[in-house]
Amino acid sequence: MKCPLETREERDLVAYASRALEGGDAERLEAHLESCSACREFVREQRAVWEALDGWEAEPISADFDRRLFGRIAAEISWWQRMRGRMGFPLVYRALLPVTAVACLVMVGVLLERPLPPRVPAAPVTTAHVESLQPDQVVHALDEMEVLDQFNHMMKPDSSTPRM
Amino acid sequence: MPERVNTYMGGATAALDYDAELMLRVKEGDGESFAQLLDKHRTPVVHFLYRMVQQQAVAEELAQEVFLRVYRSRATYEPTAKFTTWLFRIATHLALNALRDGRNERSQERLDERTEGMPALQVEDRRPSVEQSMVRQARLDEVKHAVAALPGKQRAAVLMHKYKEMEYTQIAKVLNCSESAVKSLLFRAYETLRARLAHMA
Repeated sequence: MKCPLETREERDLVAYASRALEGGDAERLEAHLESCSACREFVREQRAVWEALDGWEAEPISADFDRRLFGRIAAEISWWQRMRGRMGFPLVYRALLPVTAVACLVMVGVLLERPLPPRVPAAPVTTAHVESLQPDQVVHALDEMEVLDQFNHMMKPDSSTPRM
Repeated sequence: MPERVNTYMGGATAALDYDAELMLRVKEGDGESFAQLLDKHRTPVVHFLYRMVQQQAVAEELAQEVFLRVYRSRATYEPTAKFTTWLFRIATHLALNALRDGRNERSQERLDERTEGMPALQVEDRRPSVEQSMVRQARLDEVKHAVAALPGKQRAAVLMHKYKEMEYTQIAKVLNCSESAVKSLLFRAYETLRARLAHMA
C-alpha cells in the first residue's frame, strides 16, 4: 500500500481515525501503519481531534421553536392574503365595474351625438336597431360584473389561520 | 455523538425519497408534511448552526429562517437534489452570511468571558470534582475556539463531515464546489485542528 500522506489521500487516515474505515481497507491501512511512523502520528493526532470534537455537545432547542416558526408562517400567509385582497384580483374585478359602466355611457353618448345620415331610407332603421340593442348590452355587462363581484366576495376568506 | 443525516448509508435512498415526497406534499398544500419535515430535521439543523455561529439564540433564529425559506420555496420546489443537501445548503448560506455580518461576535465575546470567569461555571457543572469540571470546560472552550478560528467554509465542511457524517460528494454539493475542493478544505481544517487540539490526546 502506498503511503496516504505521500499520495495526498489522507481521507483514509481520517476515516480510520474516526473508526469509519472497515474491512479490507482498514486491514491494509493497519499493515501500513506498522511501518509508517508519520501516518501513525497523523492517526493519533486526528483521533485526538475527533475525541475533542465528540465532547462538544449542542445545547437543547427552545421548547417554543415550532410555535414561533408556525407563528411566522401564519403571519406571512395572512400578510400575503391581505396584500392580494388589496392589490390582487379583487381589485381588478372591483375596478372593472365602474370602468365598464363609464365606457358604456361614453359609447352610448357617442352614438347619440353622432349625426344621422340625411335622407337615407335605411339609416333610421339601423339607428333604431342599435339603440334598441344598447340597453341590453349594458344590462348584460352589468349583470356579469355583478357575478364577478359576488365571486370575489366568495373567494376572499374571512380567516387566514393555517392548518398547521 | 454524531447526528446522522440520511445521506449515504444503506436505506438512505428510501429516506431521501420520503423527504422529497413530503416536500412535494407540502407543495400541494399539506401542512402536516411540513410539520413532519420540521420534526425530522429541526435538531440537525439547529445543532449545525449552533456549532457554526456558537450562539444558541442566533442559531435558532437562523434555523427559523431556514425552515421559513423551505416553506416559502414550496411552490417552486423540484426534487432535483437530496432534500438534506438543499436544506444544509440554505443553512450553510445563512450561517456564512451571519459570520460575515459578525452576528456571532457576541458569542465569541461570551466565550472569552467564560474562559476568564471560569469559577462562575462551577455551579452549573455538577460533577463531583471542581478541578475536573474546570478542565472539562477549559477543553470545551479550547475546542470551540479552535473551530471558531477556522474560515467559514472549512468550518462548515468539518461540522458536516464530523457531526452529520456527510460524504465528500454531498458536502461538495452543499458548498457548491468540487469534491477535490472539499478534500482540500477538510485537509486544511483538520491540519489546523490537529495543531491546536492534538495535545488533548
